[in-house]
Amino acid sequence: MDNTITQISNSLYSQCIADYELRSSSKDTAEPAELSALREKAFQQFKKTGFPSTKVEDWKYTNLTPFLKEEFITEQESDLVAVEESLVEKAMVPGLDSYRVVVVNGVYRPDLSDNIPHEGVYLFPLSAAIGRPAFKKHFGQYTDISRNHFAAVNTALFRDGLFLEIKNNTVLGKPLQVVHLTAADDHTFLQPRHLIVVGTSAAATIIESYVTVDNEASVFINHVSEIVVGENAQLQHYYIQTGNEKARYIHHTEVYQLASSVYNNYKASFPGTSLLRNNLNVALDGENVESHLYGLYLSGGHQLVDNHTIVDHRKPHCQSNELYKGVMKDEATGVFNGKIFVRKDAQKTNAFQQNNNLMLGKKAVIDSKPQLEIFADDVKCSHGSTVGQFNQEAMFYLKSRGIGDEKARALLIHAFAYDVTEKIPIPEVQAHINQLIEEGLKS
Amino acid sequence: MSTDIDILKDVSTEEYKYGFTTDIEMDIAPKGLNEDIVRFISQKKNEPEWLLESRLKALRHFLKLEMPRWQNFELPPIDFQAISYYAAPKKKAKYNSLDEVDPELLATFEKLGIPLSEQKMLSGVAVDAVFDSVSVATTFKTKLKELGVIFCSFSEAVQEHPELVKKYLGTVVPYTDNIFAALNAAVVSDGSFVYIPKGVRCPMELSTYFRINAQNTGQFERTLIIADEGSYVSYLEGCTAPMRDENQLHAAVVELIALDNAEIKYSTVQNWYPGDKEGKGGIYNFVTKRGICKGVNAKISWTQVETGSAITWKYPSVILRGDNSSGEFYSVALTKNKQIADTGTKMYHIGKNTRSRIISKGISAGHGQNSYRGLVQIGSGAENARNFTQCDSLLIGDECGAHTFPYIESKNNTAMVEHEATTSKIGEDQIFYLNQRGIDTEKAVALIVNGYAKEVLNQLPMEFAVEAQKLLAISLEGSVG
Amino acid sequence: MLSIKNLKASVEEKEILKGLNLEVKPGEIHAIMGPNGSGKSTLASVLTGKENYEVTAGEVLFEGKDLLELSPEDRAREGIFLAFQYPVEIPGVSNINFLKTALNEIRAYRKQPPIEAKEFLRLLKEKQKLLEFDTTLANRSLNEGFSGGEKKRNEIFQLAMLEPKLAILDETDSGLDIDALRIVSRGVNKLRSSKNAFIIITHYQRLLDYIVPDYVHVLYNGQIVKSGTKELALELEEKGYDWLKEDAQETTLKPSFQ
Repeated sequence: MDNTITQISNSLYSQCIADYELRSSSKDTAEPAELSALREKAFQQFKKTGFPSTKVEDWKYTNLTPFLKEEFITEQESDLVAVEESLVEKAMVPGLDSYRVVVVNGVYRPDLSDNIPHEGVYLFPLSAAIGRPAFKKHFGQYTDISRNHFAAVNTALFRDGLFLEIKNNTVLGKPLQVVHLTAADDHTFLQPRHLIVVGTSAAATIIESYVTVDNEASVFINHVSEIVVGENAQLQHYYIQTGNEKARYIHHTEVYQLASSVYNNYKASFPGTSLLRNNLNVALDGENVESHLYGLYLSGGHQLVDNHTIVDHRKPHCQSNELYKGVMKDEATGVFNGKIFVRKDAQKTNAFQQNNNLMLGKKAVIDSKPQLEIFADDVKCSHGSTVGQFNQEAMFYLKSRGIGDEKARALLIHAFAYDVTEKIPIPEVQAHINQLIEEGLKS
Repeated sequence: MSTDIDILKDVSTEEYKYGFTTDIEMDIAPKGLNEDIVRFISQKKNEPEWLLESRLKALRHFLKLEMPRWQNFELPPIDFQAISYYAAPKKKAKYNSLDEVDPELLATFEKLGIPLSEQKMLSGVAVDAVFDSVSVATTFKTKLKELGVIFCSFSEAVQEHPELVKKYLGTVVPYTDNIFAALNAAVVSDGSFVYIPKGVRCPMELSTYFRINAQNTGQFERTLIIADEGSYVSYLEGCTAPMRDENQLHAAVVELIALDNAEIKYSTVQNWYPGDKEGKGGIYNFVTKRGICKGVNAKISWTQVETGSAITWKYPSVILRGDNSSGEFYSVALTKNKQIADTGTKMYHIGKNTRSRIISKGISAGHGQNSYRGLVQIGSGAENARNFTQCDSLLIGDECGAHTFPYIESKNNTAMVEHEATTSKIGEDQIFYLNQRGIDTEKAVALIVNGYAKEVLNQLPMEFAVEAQKLLAISLEGSVG
Repeated sequence: MLSIKNLKASVEEKEILKGLNLEVKPGEIHAIMGPNGSGKSTLASVLTGKENYEVTAGEVLFEGKDLLELSPEDRAREGIFLAFQYPVEIPGVSNINFLKTALNEIRAYRKQPPIEAKEFLRLLKEKQKLLEFDTTLANRSLNEGFSGGEKKRNEIFQLAMLEPKLAILDETDSGLDIDALRIVSRGVNKLRSSKNAFIIITHYQRLLDYIVPDYVHVLYNGQIVKSGTKELALELEEKGYDWLKEDAQETTLKPSFQ
């Protein structure tokens, strides 16, 4: 167990173990045998490995010790939490015509959400979807619990989350905006679980926003989402992360793509949450697949923002492109690890990855680790990573035109972020992100 | 420029032409690793008490360690007790002049293209030849002595210059650094020692040629180079070994120390026996090389051309402590058949205005696996530090692999770090273009690969550059269908 | 010198050349014109032995030898030179080193000793002067960072150095401004003799103002549908290729005009 955080895992680790044992002994769940078996396997894995320490390569730069030290409540009360409408409104992209879906503490809230009167679109609480064929076929199939400690504990213990299925040939006319709201009076460890299945030749846009209610209590959210993008399907997927410093987030997103599909992920995070760890894994498991991953992380205060991505090229003739840009203010720490795998059969692969970091704070830290692993020869792959400061000549040019220091910086930061923001195809979302950058710079 | 052509002409069909063995009477320690063996080696070398003590300390530490597991290859189990830690030609432990050296030994080095008689020497290169565990001969000693340059075997330095050895040994690579550094510190066989006095620009290239000959032995040499204030030295090392079916371990340690305004240029052409087509035999080349730019404006530059060894596992590094100091790493690593290379560099920026530059060119052919692993670390005090890294991989054939693992860690917001990496296949259209000009495919590949590696080869002194180009061409033979 | 009979070739199962006939004698310049996709570049690739081109029928004799039997490098050594439409860049390989290697490979094939360094330099200077070729280009890496025009001029410079018997110029004029076109043409004109021959593949008549061909052939749909003298090129420039397409449908029914 030398790779486990022994000194702090005790309370939360043993609590998770106890929860699981209690649940499996009570035997009152109506869960199908396959799911129980999967939970058991995940539990055994977690029991063995616990929470990762910095000795685990994927957690080398992210020390979880300070974020797991409180006494967390692991099992929530089932009462619906009251939520102020203004909070939900604030999290929405202004002026965007969309369907609204609200999830509070990992629980889907039809009472706060729009009805989606669209044929071929099925939205349920995950717990209500367990019997559906799409659930049986896809749930838990793509996430490697042996390598992902948090996904393992989530699989063992999740209670609920969202299930979204978009049937074959269904094109969702409006974006779906999912607001994930977290509110807790006591220190809480939440483990929501989501499954999104986009059918053959279907298309959708999903915008997920994460916000926390300002409370004194700390919340640790361990999200796991599995996403299947069917043949010839298209999914545009946004994550907009805000929150306060009481919030710690782990997002594990596992994307599985079939032939000729397109998956675009846009990830933007802003100062607030004290810990944000994103695992975004994309498997390109069919020919002619395209994946684009765009990330923007603006970090401030003592924030630790850690983006880990895996792009796994398994079949020939696929393309992937990844661009992550980070701006580190104050004493923020940024971590980037991007892995590209090109398997033996994945000939004619084009895979590109770029990570650029702007270090603003004197005590800011960046740890960047791009990584290529190539097992096929007829490929074009590249990655690049930079860490730097403002271009002093550009700064001087702006100042010589009468622009003050602060304004000049803001201009240059927007320019730095532009490579990512310009990729956002929805003008309202682009404007919203720019607004958040503006606010993030001031905070 | 005409050399490329001669080289191409020279390309022989031999698989590994340095694979012969030398039949010579040897003093070989019994297999096994324990305090007695360490005492035996130390006694053979007539070492002072402090050195024996430090060997024993390292051994005790080594015995507590486990093999690392982070590398990107499967490390076959190594039985440290099945290795003999000392092997030396019997005749004499130390030679006063070349006349005393066994003619068989001289012939061996002659055959390797390393003539030790000074008349035949390439002008401007002084050579120290290390055969298994001991240094055989060092040339041009007197000439160097006039300038105050010390260039001798490690064992000799222990006897003649104990104060310098004691002052610097283990200061850059302590025995606690890693398991192989610990092993080396315990069983150091021999190696080279260089000291360049203040303000001296060493007028010739210094070169050590390492040769493993005996069976079931390992080679554990230690190289220590100290460049005093304002001095300059260019140092080269070459290595070969006979073809044997079992794997042999080479666990050397190299320490470089550059004081104020000093510069050390260290070049390696590594051609240890790589094993056969099926991956049988070959050298495990597990070497720790590190330099420190201790003073201001100091500079250390590593250049390596790695074509040999079954497994190459090393990261020549530079600690940039002095303000305005700079570090460079230029590397070509070629893997074919079942060869594995996990190599790269580490640049630790500590001082202000420190600079580092990394150019790595990997070539994978056959079933070869080639990994670049590098670390660029910017400390919080490294104001205005700069790094540039270019890391390319070339793939020849669809059974090989290329992997890139760069680590960038920056704690200073005035630093600038740039890393670029590409992976691509050797261009079919390039080969056809050369074919159309009358050049056959094998030569076309050699030309393209030499062109690809040029930026690194250009860093080598002339004689070594020629050698390196030949090696690349020979190593690639039969890799292209 | 070159005799092509009923040549059929395909790429990825698609037939591109559909029975092509051509005779080239020493001292002649043949221009091959035709619309995009008619098979012009395929012909160049088949003659030089590029992979992925499968010859399904016909024969090609070069000075009596079966050309299709030879490897690409042996074809080059026999004296066939292709000035590429898109010359590749090979970083790190110097132009001069490359030329010397190629020259000596060809000499070795002909059982000649390697060229002496002095003689090589003399030849280099002579040809540079002949072609007004910038000496700095000669010292750079092969085509690396060259402009389009520089690459084309480098092709002609190599042509001059290697002195082939048959040179095939594949769209050497495309992308050249008028000055570069003049220089390239002047070079070709200086190099032509009664012993060598040229096949000039082009889309435009413009080049033929500078390099006057003995014969002009129109390639359409994988066959030579019309042959004539330089006047044919002018006619094509004026009328385009459409009128030929109608013609072609008739001619394919008739026995070949040759």
